[in-house]
Amino acid sequence: MKSALIWTIQIILIPVLSPLFTGIIRKIKAGFQNRVGAKITQPYYDFWKLFQKDEVISQDASWVFKFAPYIIFAVTIMIGASVPLFTSIFSFNLLSDLLVVVYLIALATFFLALAGMDVGSPFGGFASSREMTMAALTEGGLISSLLALALAAHSTNLFSMVHSASSLSIISFPPVLLAFFAFLIAMLSETAHFPFDNPATHLELTMIHEAMILEYSGKRLALMEWAAANKFLIFLALGVNMFFPWGLTASSESTAILTALFLFLLKVLILCLLVAVLESSMAKFRFFRLPDLLLMSFILSVIAIILMI
Amino acid sequence: MELNKIIETYIAHHLGVKREGNVVTAHVPVEHIVAVCNDLYFEHKLQLKTLTATDEREQGEGFKIFYVFGVPGENIFVVPFIQLINKQEFPSITKEIHGASGYERKIRSFFGLEPVGHPQPQQILLHENWPADLFPLRKDFNGQERPVEANTPYEFQRVEGEGIYEIPVGPVHAGIIEPGHFRFSVAGEEIILLEAKLGYTHKGIEKLFETLPLEKKVRLSERVSGDTSFTHSLAFCQAVEKLAGMDILFSELERLANHFNDIGFIMSDTGYSFGGSHGARLRERVMQWNERLAGSRFLRGVNAIGGVTRDITPDVGNKLLADLKKLWTDFHQVIEISENSSSLLNRLQGTGKLDARIALDHGVTGLAGRAVGLEHDARIDYPYAAYDRLQFTIALENEGDVRSRLYVRIKEVYSSMAIMRQSLEKMADGEIRVAGEATLKPDSHAIGIAEGWRGDIVYFVVTNSVGSITRVDVRDPSFINWTVLGHAAKDNVIPDFPLINKSFNLSYSGNDL
Repeated sequence: MKSALIWTIQIILIPVLSPLFTGIIRKIKAGFQNRVGAKITQPYYDFWKLFQKDEVISQDASWVFKFAPYIIFAVTIMIGASVPLFTSIFSFNLLSDLLVVVYLIALATFFLALAGMDVGSPFGGFASSREMTMAALTEGGLISSLLALALAAHSTNLFSMVHSASSLSIISFPPVLLAFFAFLIAMLSETAHFPFDNPATHLELTMIHEAMILEYSGKRLALMEWAAANKFLIFLALGVNMFFPWGLTASSESTAILTALFLFLLKVLILCLLVAVLESSMAKFRFFRLPDLLLMSFILSVIAIILMI
Repeated sequence: MELNKIIETYIAHHLGVKREGNVVTAHVPVEHIVAVCNDLYFEHKLQLKTLTATDEREQGEGFKIFYVFGVPGENIFVVPFIQLINKQEFPSITKEIHGASGYERKIRSFFGLEPVGHPQPQQILLHENWPADLFPLRKDFNGQERPVEANTPYEFQRVEGEGIYEIPVGPVHAGIIEPGHFRFSVAGEEIILLEAKLGYTHKGIEKLFETLPLEKKVRLSERVSGDTSFTHSLAFCQAVEKLAGMDILFSELERLANHFNDIGFIMSDTGYSFGGSHGARLRERVMQWNERLAGSRFLRGVNAIGGVTRDITPDVGNKLLADLKKLWTDFHQVIEISENSSSLLNRLQGTGKLDARIALDHGVTGLAGRAVGLEHDARIDYPYAAYDRLQFTIALENEGDVRSRLYVRIKEVYSSMAIMRQSLEKMADGEIRVAGEATLKPDSHAIGIAEGWRGDIVYFVVTNSVGSITRVDVRDPSFINWTVLGHAAKDNVIPDFPLINKSFNLSYSGNDL
């Protein structure tokens, strides 16, 4: 019974909390700009509003455009249910594998890019082309950064990796930190944050993620944005739990679960703050400088891997 | 320089010369006009300020075409003109003076006069639905009548080659900005060609100028380009009558508000949100002063022929002075912090580079010109109002990229504050002007020029035999500077275009008229 309850929390935690963290980032950024900003719960209201709205779908839209939001949203729920969040009870889940998770993310990106191109709008077209360029370049850094931990654990199971990372000696902390920075760069690229993409822009020519979903409206837009928020929280969770693996509990005691949940939220909040500070203090990079940054992410993880071995 | 000496220097004796205030008109035979213009432009290095036509067929005078050249430093305009009786074509000077291209196309579209020898005489501003044989600025065209919809095809320039594709953007944009259509031909992310199609905000302003009563004409000039309300009406009022004094303050307030706004927007277009929000905040402070001083955030309703309708008491003047000091420190801090951001500077440097030669040939004016080192500023070249009594220098940069245009603005913010300080201190003796009735000279030509925040605004006003205005030609700096936007954007990547566009921040409304 208790395990069913924990299972439920694990599954709904990401979709339930993800809009909150989008709101928190916006609030912190507003603070840096001398603005009051909207409430941190505003994204919930936005999604609620969008779900009630009528949709406008282009005549040229094919099934890809119509189904992509459901596929992408479902994929993020699936990943959210299988990554380490607060409990390590479900460590023998087949989905909790490094490569499965990374390529599930790639699957979502694939459908996102297809949907962007589907209706033939020029903005969607070039946004998809940019997204695929970025996705291809990001993949190396993302996998290698996690691979550094996998090598230490001799397993690609995320929970085993967490377990082994938490028992690493202090000497192996520098490579973990290097891998974390590599992961951070990849995360910013994957989740459409600075310096890669501006989630708050209205300039149709500079957008990447926003231009791909430009044609969406109503509940499909809500799903797309919700999926993007989920993805962001998944990356935050991976970032804090894989590289700073303290607080995960194997017990099913309610106090232990609550402490673990609290610790998880605290860690994510700190990483959130870091992202918001980064977004407020720098300009977006020129598009052709982005590959350099992603290359750096790859090199950092390679160094981390060498140090780990 | 003496007026007589100027006439002697610039105009051959055999031409019919007429002096009208600061305007020297000379009737030139059609076959000589190209030579005369070349002489003024290349030999005497005069600037072509505007080129426009009038329809005087009712008086039996046919069409006249005026070539307005300015003499920098003198506030004097040399205006050779040609007369076309029973003729609908005139020799084009575009092949020699490229900056005349847009003006000649406009004359062709609006007066139906053919510039013979113009390399690209396409329709300008009027769209495909406008009948090709209808010319709105001819006197026999009734502005109240709706013309039949035509359906002429519009051809964009095409670039062909492997992997080249077109991106149409606008006229409806994702943000709240004016409408304009941009056609990019790109290879991957790189811009090969940018063609802008404007004219979506064409309002028939020049036609309206012919019919509205004088007082309303001033109000109309405020609405040519909303962000430059004051300086536009200032240039118009100057054309009708000379002004002096308080207008400097309002004109500089307008410049300050717009420069703050643009500095903020240039930074936020690179994603540097800190600069973006502070730019907007500083602008708002100026806008509130506008409201307080003039009762209008955009300084509308302040200008009148003969003076300004609002007075500033010494008490309010002192408060403004004190606030200016605070504003100066505030702005200085924001710029200091922003200059420390290497990611911001990296985005600005080398982006949207405008070649100095191209700028010169197109006659680029205002801050875009000063950013490539063209040392022109109507406040110094054609000292109107009391600008000649004030100390300030022209803000110059040499690179012609987005960074240069940003720094011209930054420097102008400082000089603008200095100008306001000086004029507030000088105004202490307090002269109050009241707008008076104006009687206009008959059969006359007048030119008003004022440096708006984008560049010089030129009004060319013509009166008939009873002294009422029959033609007003408006030349917003945007009309010229739009022609070089494509050159500045070429070879940049598409994601940088909004930034380049914002660094020019041209007016659609002022261009489309």
